[in-house]
Amino acid sequence: MAELRTSTPSVTSVLASAEACDRVSELPGACRVSPGEVALMGDVSEAAVRAAVVRLDPDAVVLDVSDGWIVHSLDGPGSREAFARLSELELPAAGSLVGELAGVGVRILVDGDRIDLLVPSMIAAHVRERIEVDAAELLR
Amino acid sequence: MTPGRLRFEGRDVPVLEGDTVASALFRAGVRTFSRSLKGHRRRGLYCGTGECPNCAVTVDGVPGVRSCITPATGDLRIERPRGWPSADHDLLHVADLAHPLMPVGFYLKTFIRPRFAWRTAERMIRRATGSGPLPMDAPATRTVSRHVRCDTIVVGAGVAGLTAALEPAVDGERVLLCDGFAIGSRVAPGPTLDAIRTLEARVRANPAIEIMEGYAALGLFDGPSVPLAGAGELVQVRAERVVVATGATEAHQLFPGNDLPGVWLGRAASAMAALHGVPPGRRVVVVASTAEGVEHLRALVAAGTPVVAALVPSAFVDEVPRETEAIVDGELVEARGHGRLRSVVVRERGERRRIRCDALVLSMGLAPRDELARMAVGEPVRLVGDAALDAGEPRLGGGYLCLCEDVALHDVEQAWTEGFRSAEILKRYTTATMGPCKGAMCGRALACFARDHADAADQRSGARTTARPPLRPVALETLAAPVHEVVEKRTGLHEVHLAAGANLGWSSGWKRALSYGDLAGEYRAVRERVGMMDVGTLGRFLIAGRDAARLAGSVFAGRIEDLAPGRSRYVLALDEGGYVVDDGLLCAVEDGSYLLTSTSGGAERMDARLREWADRLQLHVHLLDRTSELGAILVAGPRARDLLERLTGDPIEAAALPYPGHRELTLAGVPCRAIRSGFVGELAFELHHPRSRGPELWDALLREGKALEISPFGLDALEVLRLEKGHLYLGQDTLPDDTPAKLGLNWAVDMSKPWFVGKAALERLAELPPTRRLAGLEFEGAPAEGAELRGAPLTVGGAVVGRVTSAANSASLERAIGLGWIRRGEDGFPNELGAGSVVARVVSTPFYDPLGARVRG
Repeated sequence: MAELRTSTPSVTSVLASAEACDRVSELPGACRVSPGEVALMGDVSEAAVRAAVVRLDPDAVVLDVSDGWIVHSLDGPGSREAFARLSELELPAAGSLVGELAGVGVRILVDGDRIDLLVPSMIAAHVRERIEVDAAELLR
Repeated sequence: MTPGRLRFEGRDVPVLEGDTVASALFRAGVRTFSRSLKGHRRRGLYCGTGECPNCAVTVDGVPGVRSCITPATGDLRIERPRGWPSADHDLLHVADLAHPLMPVGFYLKTFIRPRFAWRTAERMIRRATGSGPLPMDAPATRTVSRHVRCDTIVVGAGVAGLTAALEPAVDGERVLLCDGFAIGSRVAPGPTLDAIRTLEARVRANPAIEIMEGYAALGLFDGPSVPLAGAGELVQVRAERVVVATGATEAHQLFPGNDLPGVWLGRAASAMAALHGVPPGRRVVVVASTAEGVEHLRALVAAGTPVVAALVPSAFVDEVPRETEAIVDGELVEARGHGRLRSVVVRERGERRRIRCDALVLSMGLAPRDELARMAVGEPVRLVGDAALDAGEPRLGGGYLCLCEDVALHDVEQAWTEGFRSAEILKRYTTATMGPCKGAMCGRALACFARDHADAADQRSGARTTARPPLRPVALETLAAPVHEVVEKRTGLHEVHLAAGANLGWSSGWKRALSYGDLAGEYRAVRERVGMMDVGTLGRFLIAGRDAARLAGSVFAGRIEDLAPGRSRYVLALDEGGYVVDDGLLCAVEDGSYLLTSTSGGAERMDARLREWADRLQLHVHLLDRTSELGAILVAGPRARDLLERLTGDPIEAAALPYPGHRELTLAGVPCRAIRSGFVGELAFELHHPRSRGPELWDALLREGKALEISPFGLDALEVLRLEKGHLYLGQDTLPDDTPAKLGLNWAVDMSKPWFVGKAALERLAELPPTRRLAGLEFEGAPAEGAELRGAPLTVGGAVVGRVTSAANSASLERAIGLGWIRRGEDGFPNELGAGSVVARVVSTPFYDPLGARVRG
């Protein structure tokens, strides 16, 4: 049985040239959203990141966007099965990806049976409800 | 499986272990399983594999259930839907005698006049021909959907499917093997079942093969993707390759009397005798043209079925059991009987001969079940086993071609003479192949008919009709399982509105407060004191990077380069045709970036538009959708500034925060960007803040505003407030081909700019005289609720020349006002129009505070 937990994350958006984003993508907790955008999960020093990217792209934007996101975490055996109820994405063993779940765009961080779904705050309630209904018997 | 209890039309039917609903009913003496669609002809068990429509009954209120493949487990209530007063004694059978009066396509030509009679006729036709009412009061069941990925999906777990599953499995690929039934469960004991059991053991031992029994494939889509329907579940399989091993059905045979109860296909008859222990008849004639047919013959005899004669080719004559008369190389001519089979006529060495019998078992060749492969367009699909057979041409000797839709061969011949000369249009005219079996029985015969009758050069006439999903009947709830179209967006103040008892409603995908119970009070608060509203639904975008101004200048029609930091401007986005597609407010920020607000419903469109043009123009910009991250509260009314001053030490007087302009403030400890707004026509500030701080800011405003008699207001009040200012809602007040000129928004377009999206089109359109425009309207003699006029046609001298797009009672003007489309007449645009009995007068907008002094306050 998987556990479903909801939390408020720390998210920093980095908007920069693809080259600068390549650099930032190597940081732990990084999710490459597009060629020109990386989302950094967890506590990061905005100043340090900015310093790292402006050398490659002086126009780069580094912004704390934590309020825009909610994390729904599926953890434990059955979490991948619960995920498959709502999305056709193929999950890697570990890593991050961007795609659709329950009809909306989400960012996903995977590590084994732990799946963090980074969901825009405005639709977080919708996604939580879909998981609770569609994967009811797989949740603890 | 424990045998269930069967209640059949009021009586109990004994059930034995392993029974299907059909086998239990047949054992109990039921011979008429259904009545045909048009002629109400008796139909008995025929294919035994769930393909044909003959055994469809209503099970526990669910119509159209194939009884031959439905296990008789649990407590089941069975009814036959068609037939009055009963399926056994059906007076509606008279329709069959009236067949000459109801030729093919008759429904396209009859019941047309008198028109009033159609209502009655339709009700009668529905009752006579339907498959039974849907169980409307049945409790909702939950179907779940899940996604599965694999390298190879093998559809069908017969000999060919099991073999195919084992082939790639040695390479360690992930194989998914599915079948609508448990492996081997539908095969009578014999060499085929033995082969299946041997292969099954190997497949089950292979960990790379996932077996899904009881999951029927519904179709094949791009991907390739194969949806499977199982018990309470829709499984969407995405595979690299598809192997179609769906086998074949025994070919439907066309000869006079082919639809009489007592005519069986071989698999149904041998399963009934060998698996369920019920002989299909007391005097049985078998026609076996193939090795499988001989296998059925032997299975029937071994199970004790009295087979009186068998028509076999000379090659199989030694296989015919001794107690059965072998008719070598004989030909089946027709089946005779009224309501049930009494005899068959065969031709033996040129002589016609009649044989008395009550069951005729046909095993005369196979029709491959290749529909899945035929649905594939360029997908990696491989047909194996019987599904890949190159089946021979069916014999078109007469009788019924399409059992589902009750189409006889002579009906198709008539359609041909009427000029419907290809399989596709024969299908549409006769409805052959359009029934629940989807052509599994008749599709090949229809194509063959067209091929035989068409010119040799005309290849297309005889092509098979298009195979379409679903392959098998499927409940709508199964198909709906993965649909998540209703996505409810909520602002950070959702809980606050709930606690305040707001009336919430849908607006552009958001759940928003429509009102807090006192519409008139909410309106008056804004006009006379101060009101506050959650506008966190507005789209918010950051446009940064060195080309930010170029992007804004390209996407928006107005002047951008002179927009100084701290100032904001209303902007219009046009498409290449010069038509207005979006609007918003662009705020220039000190660091060279912009904050753009867009309409609540247009945010996603705006995001896509900005990204598309940044890409097309190769601009170095950084775009961030901040809609989810930022909350926004609109504080509006003559006392709005008084309220904010109580909560901030930052300067907010007109000089420091002019209209239209914006600046950062800290209000009640919450960092905000305050944007002066003119939408409601009063001194107003949009306070954009971190979403998580929304409730705190809302509470502080409410608390401090108490002394100023503040009131929250909802969308309903906003509708009146904005209408009084003549502000339009894109979508509600606009049409897809609206130029800025038609909307009276030319002031938001700067034609002196070298280029913007839609400019070239506007230049061309400027040469055409305006034919239509959005006008302000005042109504005389309006109903008590002015809003009722919305949508009303606008007329001049009885001719419709426009439409009311928005209407409301204006408390400030003490009359009903609105916006609406009007068309130009010969004498220019009309000034007075009719809206039913109401007079609509064209007036200039804004209706309220035309000079905008209150907004600038």
